[in-house]
Amino acid sequence: MPPGALTDERDVRTAYAAHAGELYGFALRSLGDRGLAEEAVQESFLRAWRAGQRFDPQIGSLRTWLFAIMRNVVIDLGRARAVRPGVAEGGVEPSVEPLEEALLAWQLEEAMRRIGEQHRQILVETYYRGRPYAEVAEELGVPEGTVKSRVYYGLRALRVALEEIGYED
Amino acid sequence: MKTDRCREAREALGAYVLGQLPEEERATTEAHLDGCAACRSELESLTPVARMMPLADPERFAAAPLPPPGLANRIATAIRGERRAQRRRRLRLGLALGGATAAVAAAVLAIFVLSGGPSSSAEQRIAFGSLPPGMKIVAALEPRPFGTEIHMYVEGVRSGTLCRVTLRGPKGIRLPAGTFRYRYGADEEAVLSSALDLSRTRAIVVHVGHRAFVAPVGADRRA
Repeated sequence: MPPGALTDERDVRTAYAAHAGELYGFALRSLGDRGLAEEAVQESFLRAWRAGQRFDPQIGSLRTWLFAIMRNVVIDLGRARAVRPGVAEGGVEPSVEPLEEALLAWQLEEAMRRIGEQHRQILVETYYRGRPYAEVAEELGVPEGTVKSRVYYGLRALRVALEEIGYED
Repeated sequence: MKTDRCREAREALGAYVLGQLPEEERATTEAHLDGCAACRSELESLTPVARMMPLADPERFAAAPLPPPGLANRIATAIRGERRAQRRRRLRLGLALGGATAAVAAAVLAIFVLSGGPSSSAEQRIAFGSLPPGMKIVAALEPRPFGTEIHMYVEGVRSGTLCRVTLRGPKGIRLPAGTFRYRYGADEEAVLSSALDLSRTRAIVVHVGHRAFVAPVGADRRA
């Protein structure tokens, strides 16, 4: 058994303390329901524990492994929900695409929470609220050029934060 | 090479990649990008970020949602329940071996434990030898912070028979693990505990009615 294998309750508790928050955030973002997200987190840790002897930290991080498991759990739960009467529309098989989008959305939102307030604020005002740079500059009492450069440094900070949380191009 | 031009162009790259740059500045930036590989590579690293921007919901930037309190405990409970069910299945397999000698039974159990999904690596399965015909005792010992958790299964005695379990340590230490009754038809293990650490446990003694059975534990098992 490789060292670091996830085989007993204590290992699972340690892994939970380190990663449950992110996994829950991702599950909630993908499934859009607190109850389902909770179920997804529980199922992911159970699956991780069942396969715990196969986890090898030499191959990849625990976080990456847990996210791979969570991704499958979310797909399974999403499918189960889609076949429940009243939820499926026209019997359409749920595609994997929305999950990829949910993962990207969650990653970006998580990255936004990690960058500085100043950068986040500038991106919210100019991009999400669509306000002109001049207006934002006046409100913040800085030159317009500063708003522009903060947009750039904000995106760079996002890029770094995304890589930190495992995003790859 | 990085120049003042690069600095100027880069500071415009954010607005450029988000499509927020006025026409005139866009043309200037593009002209610079045409001739500057370093700035083009910077643009490439920001492009995926810009593509992700419309997917995100700014309402969710404030605070990460927290998993409900108690979820960790529910997961731990589910794991314990599943482990118990696995152990029961394994105990039953041990019992199903019937007439096999204890040594063979122990070997088969060891193989099964190795191949049979997750189990605590420190868990010890105990086989009792020299039992009267038709009688079976199976035990699994697990180290716990408080001492040792003992899972017992007894079969082939009169229903209602009182069973008493004690762990023996070095220097004559004996710490009781508790009592249980065998009930005919109740296919369930008894879960007991003793304050003696598993690492210090040398033997397990089971009194079944008036008879006592002893099995070695730990290193003594192989001696």
